[in-house]
Amino acid sequence: MSWTLLRGTLHQRRASMFWFCLGLVFYAWLMTWFYPQIGGGQYAQLIESMPPELLALFGGTEVPFASLGGYFQTEYLGLMWLIIVSAAVVLFAGRAFAGEIAAGTMELVLAQPVSRVQVALTRTTVFVGYVLLLAAASFVPIQVFGPSYGIELGAGTFWTLFAFGSLYMLAVGGIAVLLSSIFRDAGRAGAVAAAFLLLLWIADLVSNVSEAARFFDPINLISYWQPGKIINGDPIAPEGWWIYAVVGVTSLAAAVVVFSRRDVA
Amino acid sequence: MDIISTRNLTKFYGKTRGVEDLSLSVPAGIVYGFLGPNGSGKTTTIRCLLGMLRPTAGEATVLGRRVTLDGSHVRRRIGYVAGEVRLYERETGRWHLDYVAGFRGGRGVLTDELLERFAFDPSKRVKELSKGNKQKLALILGMAHDPELLILDEPTSGLDPLNQEAVYRVIEERIAAGRTVFLSSHILSEVERVCERVGIVRSGRLVAEENVRDLLGKRLRHVEVRFAEPTPPAFLADLPGVDSVTPLSAFVLVARAKGDVVDQVVKRVAERTVVDLTIQQAGLEEVFLEFYRDEGTAPEAATALSGNGDISRPATSAGGGDEGGERE
Repeated sequence: MSWTLLRGTLHQRRASMFWFCLGLVFYAWLMTWFYPQIGGGQYAQLIESMPPELLALFGGTEVPFASLGGYFQTEYLGLMWLIIVSAAVVLFAGRAFAGEIAAGTMELVLAQPVSRVQVALTRTTVFVGYVLLLAAASFVPIQVFGPSYGIELGAGTFWTLFAFGSLYMLAVGGIAVLLSSIFRDAGRAGAVAAAFLLLLWIADLVSNVSEAARFFDPINLISYWQPGKIINGDPIAPEGWWIYAVVGVTSLAAAVVVFSRRDVA
Repeated sequence: MDIISTRNLTKFYGKTRGVEDLSLSVPAGIVYGFLGPNGSGKTTTIRCLLGMLRPTAGEATVLGRRVTLDGSHVRRRIGYVAGEVRLYERETGRWHLDYVAGFRGGRGVLTDELLERFAFDPSKRVKELSKGNKQKLALILGMAHDPELLILDEPTSGLDPLNQEAVYRVIEERIAAGRTVFLSSHILSEVERVCERVGIVRSGRLVAEENVRDLLGKRLRHVEVRFAEPTPPAFLADLPGVDSVTPLSAFVLVARAKGDVVDQVVKRVAERTVVDLTIQQAGLEEVFLEFYRDEGTAPEAATALSGNGDISRPATSAGGGDEGGERE
């Protein structure tokens, strides 16, 4: 790994990283603050009376809205969080390799005494660090501000949410990093990654309202993302951990291999 | 020992030819000019030498080591200035200097000197810099560490004549200090000015590799003769190596002679009474165009020649424009 490249990458991405993290902190705090007002009572009944298709859109079919987990899944972690962190990791990943190749700055990097493997490992390390930062920005505010609004997440629940959320981002972002190492253009890499995620989300949405479409769930990354269950202390599918970890680690390892062997100009 | 050596170096981008069967050798301590129009394969060759591209076939050796995609050890001893300067637009010149210094284990020994000679202000962001100033920054980044081998891809592009001259002087000083320079260019006057040896690449292939002096000396000459009596062009036209004879008047003929034929021309001229005789070496521009004449692209290349001998656009077949116009 190259410390110079690591510092340089963090320096160049500082604005994007800062704003995404700040946005997540603000959103998490906002949802925590709103919980006492809308997280129960008649509003909950209103939400639960909505068509399941609409609730499925916000990931709210698996857990009751009136519960803490149901509230956070529907209002925050079920859809908006997915969109925000997916955008964050896909944008970051796109610039990791393809963006720099297209911009021509990779030529400046590779003219220096640094190996391809070092470049790839450094970029991957920064990406993993960014994922952890996003997870912290997503979940720490709930833990910190929650007690003021009657929300108590146990340490085990918090760390499970943190770890599972991180693994989800690692899996989704890992695919985006792999695409970035393959393509010559960040826009194309990002577009393919976004299209892939959209496809997964639509498949999940359909399977939430149709038993016949559930055949795809076992390999659908989004289907395993059930933060409401974690918050409520309900069990989540154990294979979700493995699938996220395997997809994330395999994609990142493949990205390192691909970048080490490809033409970069 | 050759500092750079390639053997049958070939790079195809799919079906598009970048460079094909290129074999060249660059000895230590000289400026080697790599000459060709846009799209002829110059940049592709350089990127293969730096390990940025994987050759389709053949091999390259730089500083005694075979080039691989992970040739970071070799790159420690190389300074590179890209043809198309791409830097981090939001960062300053000083940030770039520190960035490169971080990779190379310290600030380059020539950094301050080069900043002064190019009158470059490193405090500005790259996006605020003119094309010429970006080029200056790229040159400083490439040369600051006084590398054993300097690979320059069209280094004076965008520079004013004063800064061009500054670049030439720095190159000459590096050579005097025992370094080697591989200079890719389509500016013939530049090559003629600083290079000792030149490789001419056409359609991705090396068509000539010679010392500049020899190339200029033996390839092409204009022989202008003023005779004491009227002389028809046919008097010189039948000589081997004379490809054209132009009568300027009934008494004056200008012959264009290719190859080592001066002796034969002089002996033929001496058969008549000569009032005046001038033998002039053709410039590198004309020699260069000669290499493209066979493919019928010389007129196009000639059109592309500007006053300073800048071959500024690709000649269709010479540059692989039908296949590799976008890939140099």
